[in-house]
Amino acid sequence: MIFTIFKKELKDTLRDRRTIIAMIVVPVLVFPILLGLTTTVTKYFAEKQQEEVLKIAVISTATDNQFTQRLSAIPEEFGPKTLIFREDTLGLKEEISIDSIQIAFIIPANFDQQQDSNQQSTIQVFHKGVNIGNKDRVRTYLAEIESSFLAERFERLNLDKQLIEPIDEQYNDISSEKEMIGKLAGGFLPYLFIIFGFIGCMYPAIDLFTGEKERKTLETLLTTPVPRWKILIGKMLVIVLSGIAAASFALIGMFVGLRAFDLVDSPELLTVIDGILTPMFILSLLILLIPLTIFFAGIMIPATIYAKSFKEAQSVLTPVNFIIMMPALVGLLPGIELDYITAFIPIVNIVLATKELVAGTIDPILMIISFMTMVGFAALSVVFSYKRFGKESNIIS
Amino acid sequence: MIQVENIRKEFELTKKQQKENNTSDKVALAVEDVSFECQPGRIFSLLGPNGAGKTTTLRMLAGILKPSQGSIKINGIDIQKNPNEAKKDIGFLTGSTGLYERLTANEIIEYFSKLYGVSKEDFKQRKENLYTLLGMHDFQDKRIGRLSTGMKQKVSIARTMIHDPDVVIFDEPTSGLDVITAENIIKLISDCKTQGKTVIFSSHIMSEVDLLCDDLAIIHKGKIILRNTMQEFRNNMQTTSLTAEFIRVINENN
Repeated sequence: MIFTIFKKELKDTLRDRRTIIAMIVVPVLVFPILLGLTTTVTKYFAEKQQEEVLKIAVISTATDNQFTQRLSAIPEEFGPKTLIFREDTLGLKEEISIDSIQIAFIIPANFDQQQDSNQQSTIQVFHKGVNIGNKDRVRTYLAEIESSFLAERFERLNLDKQLIEPIDEQYNDISSEKEMIGKLAGGFLPYLFIIFGFIGCMYPAIDLFTGEKERKTLETLLTTPVPRWKILIGKMLVIVLSGIAAASFALIGMFVGLRAFDLVDSPELLTVIDGILTPMFILSLLILLIPLTIFFAGIMIPATIYAKSFKEAQSVLTPVNFIIMMPALVGLLPGIELDYITAFIPIVNIVLATKELVAGTIDPILMIISFMTMVGFAALSVVFSYKRFGKESNIIS
Repeated sequence: MIQVENIRKEFELTKKQQKENNTSDKVALAVEDVSFECQPGRIFSLLGPNGAGKTTTLRMLAGILKPSQGSIKINGIDIQKNPNEAKKDIGFLTGSTGLYERLTANEIIEYFSKLYGVSKEDFKQRKENLYTLLGMHDFQDKRIGRLSTGMKQKVSIARTMIHDPDVVIFDEPTSGLDVITAENIIKLISDCKTQGKTVIFSSHIMSEVDLLCDDLAIIHKGKIILRNTMQEFRNNMQTTSLTAEFIRVINENN
């Protein structure tokens, strides 16, 4: 009988446009769209910046100084530029402010003498700070020029470079890339699951309980010789399935998005990401996700039974959504780990366990504790739902 | 057969409801000490003004609500002790019954036949009979959301009768329907009687009562104030019409 109810409710749910959007369309598309937009916009601006020909004014009474020579010699790959030579600064600020010139270098007249006698020269750089990127280009040019002067000085003075670099630091990271991804980005995955798992559960929950009340079909259903707990479980299974589906579709969307927009340019990193997605990982994730979505369904059902309209149900569930998000955010905080305390905190334990799963560093005992704790809370929420579903004032309108 | 003995129904009031009703009582009494019997092959009519307790009584008979006191037996089965067994014999239809808009007529009828545990052979035969009787073949595969009110009502009738119930409960079945659609319901009630089923229906449309009813009870403020056969009721009338007599009885007990 539970299967008959499940089958009918699933069919009914899959014909609801709102649920399909929340369960499949949004989770699948949100990441490719977000990632696509971000990469396209960033790429566009980066390319535009790179291709932009900078008009650089070099102000000096001695036009053929060493600085100008070296600036002209900087290859095109550092960004295209045209040099304009001036002897004075007349109208310079105005030209920079209207963008007819982007950068101006003021070179002292005795620049060459200072360099030849190993002295320091001061170069004034005029630029417009709002044009982000121009300053970076100037820094690259100056670093190139400075390093060529420095190399000459070392040679001229017959000095070793080690003289000014007493320490040569060499970092050896022994954590695997998988661990790095797990600890840094792993918190994002459970956060994603919780958001989409919740939204995926929300619409069918409202439709299957408040919707039945609103459409006046619940009364008829309750006159059938089917125990109420079977009706509840049949409906709940659809809600749980929808939550899991939404979370899974979000995961698929994220990986499709990463591949489609070539966000991961290193092939090694791509291999690591592919390595995370083993059948064992997906299975473990689903095992953790099941009690979580049952718990979501269990806390949503009483609210949707109580509500008299779709609108009321939505307004009751929105604050619940925020409350659920808080422990989910814990996963994004660095330093909080799955241990014998956090494993007993619902939602937080699933978030942290998922993070450890991604990193491949999960302690099986802590995973079992997290799972069992969540199962316990899920069971409590189901009992609570059953009590509310049995309450006459909730079912008659 | 329906046997109702001294049923009483109290609803708990929330603080908000207490405030709205301007009362300090923690419970509201909807039905008090109601008893009656409905016989097979006869139509029993439960009459009363709005808020008299008709719907609450019928919801208790259908097993949706539990009486606070008293007993209800459907074909000898106590609905409180054995609700799922008793419900197998009941068909329940109200004027405001909704249907699943995204399902087709066929899907709904099949779903309910499964919920009532109807065998495949019986389902096939009854579906064919009902569809022919109600003229439902043309729209059987259309989704409910695309049907007219009349068509929807036919689907509701088929849904109510697919398990061939012995006892049929109608709660204001024609309310909100046009005369042509209401006629289908009147015919259904009449057919149920011919088939020897026990029928109870609530209404405040006296022409329907006049046409169909064999026994009647008038409920007012949760109590039965009159119980009689229709024939006796007509014979004892002190006014010229059924409506006027109904109003007179109500006013007398105010």
